[in-house]
Amino acid sequence: MLLNPLTFHTPTTISQAAELYSTLGGARILAGGTFLLNSLKLLKRKGLKTPKNVISLKRIPELVGMTADSQGLTIGSMTTIDEIFESPLLKDNFQVLRIVCRNISTQPIRNVATLGGNLTCRYTWTEMPAVMIGLEAQLHFIDNKGQASSLSAEEFYKAAAKTDKILTHVRIPRDTKAAIAYRRARKSSNVDIPLLSLLIKTYFEGNRFTKTHVSVNNCVAFAQRDQVLEQFLNAAVCSKTIAQEALDHLDKNIYDNRSDEYKQHIFRISIKGAIEELITKQAKKS
Amino acid sequence: MTTLTINNKKYDLDLKGHEILLEVLRNNLGFTGTKTACEESECGTCCVNIGGKSILSCITLACDVADKAITTIEGLADGEKLHPVQQAYIDHGAVQCGFCIPGLIMSSKALLEKNPEPTREEIDYALDGNLCRCAGYLKIYEAVIHAGKEMKQLAGTNKN
Repeated sequence: MLLNPLTFHTPTTISQAAELYSTLGGARILAGGTFLLNSLKLLKRKGLKTPKNVISLKRIPELVGMTADSQGLTIGSMTTIDEIFESPLLKDNFQVLRIVCRNISTQPIRNVATLGGNLTCRYTWTEMPAVMIGLEAQLHFIDNKGQASSLSAEEFYKAAAKTDKILTHVRIPRDTKAAIAYRRARKSSNVDIPLLSLLIKTYFEGNRFTKTHVSVNNCVAFAQRDQVLEQFLNAAVCSKTIAQEALDHLDKNIYDNRSDEYKQHIFRISIKGAIEELITKQAKKS
Repeated sequence: MTTLTINNKKYDLDLKGHEILLEVLRNNLGFTGTKTACEESECGTCCVNIGGKSILSCITLACDVADKAITTIEGLADGEKLHPVQQAYIDHGAVQCGFCIPGLIMSSKALLEKNPEPTREEIDYALDGNLCRCAGYLKIYEAVIHAGKEMKQLAGTNKN
């Protein structure tokens, strides 16, 4: 057997799931399973302790689906990456999600991996955290008493993505004015080991960047903003050299300095490429 | 008791909850067409179809799909008549050692049921989770394109 014995729970409502999660100490939530099941196998192979209880969220229909209105896009936490990719609702700033989803792993993984799992598994190689910080998404939770609460993606990752609640949905504000560039660098085209996830969102006023958000993941401990780079870009005027100059204004404290030279080179050229893309798009507009 | 629906047939099984679908298919029920290889969602040899999608049975808990219709490679042929995807793989010489082929056929079928005329890029995208160590991808692409045409034609015939 690949897994150690466990008790499998199949709640049908969010409140049942939240109650189980709070009462069964050490229980693990099963969303798509792409991270959890592989990690349970690994723990077993290493002879380490494995959880006694697994709570599947697959039978809770309220957690699945997407809706959009003039203010924003709502994505249920159990919506799969493939469902997001195929959604006709990805307009305006949400269009970037199609590129993000397309870049995630492989088709059989995208068919089952969920947005909620990607955001809450606390695994390094996930794609959505930086994207959700960049899009200023709000994460919505329900606790074991049925109380709803929310916090921004940025706050969630500042707190190391820890929660004892059930993530129900994500709300992303609609934005028709932002310019967005997204980059993902991975180690190999076949095996999905990302080196960098990056989303830069800015608003051009003439040839100046304003209110720029730079969010990064994979080359940092947890997805976060590079506020040093943001400040540099917000004070800069678009020019042919600005993307190169920006590389001297990264927040050195947040990036993984233990990375080898190749990895550091890859994420530097990715950042440069994203800034150049924004400038080129803006030049075409004006 | 847990009831699994596999290839349109129901199977009552005494599952405890921790059994992986791949193990149940092969060890409990004898569906050995679904192959075991990496067991960590990298290679795609264990793909089955659930809800029209290609799913890795090595990272699926059997109890978690108790309410779903599962199709394995054994469920594709109609008696002696192979499914158009299976036939196209043979006709185009797309099978070398054959180990990856059940998974590739299940992923091809999922793609073609949604889109019988895929572009090369769409095939790349849909089959990116299925690795062939013989590297026989060109013949596989040819087989997928041909199978799509067959399936479209068959769908048209059935409509008429």
